[in-house]
Amino acid sequence: MDHLQLAAHTFSSRLILGTGKFSSAAVMLEAVKASGAQLVTVALRRFNREQLEDDLFGPLSELPGITLMPNTSGASTAAEAIKAANISRELSGSPFIKVEIHPNPQHLMPDPIETMEAARVLASEGFLVMPYISPDPVLAKRLEEVGCASVMPLGSAIGSGQGLASAAMLSIIIRESSIPVIVDAGLRAPSEAARAMEMGCSAVLVNSAIAASDNPAEMAAAFRDSTDAGRRAFKAGLMRESREAVATSPLTSFLGEQS
Amino acid sequence: MKKRPKEIVQKPLKMITIQLNGESESLPEDSTIIDLLTRIGSDGKTVATLVNDQVVRPPERTAHALCEGDRVEILVFAGGG
Repeated sequence: MDHLQLAAHTFSSRLILGTGKFSSAAVMLEAVKASGAQLVTVALRRFNREQLEDDLFGPLSELPGITLMPNTSGASTAAEAIKAANISRELSGSPFIKVEIHPNPQHLMPDPIETMEAARVLASEGFLVMPYISPDPVLAKRLEEVGCASVMPLGSAIGSGQGLASAAMLSIIIRESSIPVIVDAGLRAPSEAARAMEMGCSAVLVNSAIAASDNPAEMAAAFRDSTDAGRRAFKAGLMRESREAVATSPLTSFLGEQS
Repeated sequence: MKKRPKEIVQKPLKMITIQLNGESESLPEDSTIIDLLTRIGSDGKTVATLVNDQVVRPPERTAHALCEGDRVEILVFAGGG
């Protein structure tokens, strides 16, 4: 079977779902179910007695076959991310941690230096580190060397819907990487998930494209199908591109042709 | 000597002030983390609790009494990408 392998963990789904920005917990849960995702991200936040619906741990843990991947969003330094990771592991029991360190709310670009430091420490503490990074092949390799379970380069800025703006760099990361490469952030259309998978990504992480759709559950199903289609195409092997037309029908022996 | 009957004295309820998720909260003295969770309507199953930056695990919550000035954080998993 063609499964996503993250350290010793195996997943049949290659679509990872983010749970932010949904209109309600119920809508989010329907989207998770429709997506077929087995890994979902959550964010550690302060309990709010006026908004008890914010607490998603209960409802998510009632869904069968779901593994949580807490993120460290809100952290702007390695130390803050490490602290959030430890609290998250305490609460979730999950070894997965999405290291996400972005100091600037304007562009939300990940800080490579703090990310590297947090990843190094957390990997040595037994976490399965999934770092959210800029599409930088050198950084991706360095993160692999310190024991990350995957690298998660961005397709484009978080929530921007600009798709695979980083495609050229992603290709290099995919070619050079010995650990799974997961495109995280920026995807807008299911066709972009398919393209990422056709390129050889191991999985895609999608949130805004589904949460901001008029029909999140239906969009989640569309991403499920396109991720699967892209993976199957990659495994089957795409044909070679040619600069010239290459006929698919015979160009000779047409009726009435003079020999 | 005749033993004096034990007097039942209602001790005045002494209050302490802690910082709960960054805001002041008054609690009766000797309140534990479980008391605090009950007060805010949480069964504690889906929250992480920290006192003065140290994680207090679920089995320790019943015995952990809060003190004046403690910084308490109660955290949940909210939606995030």
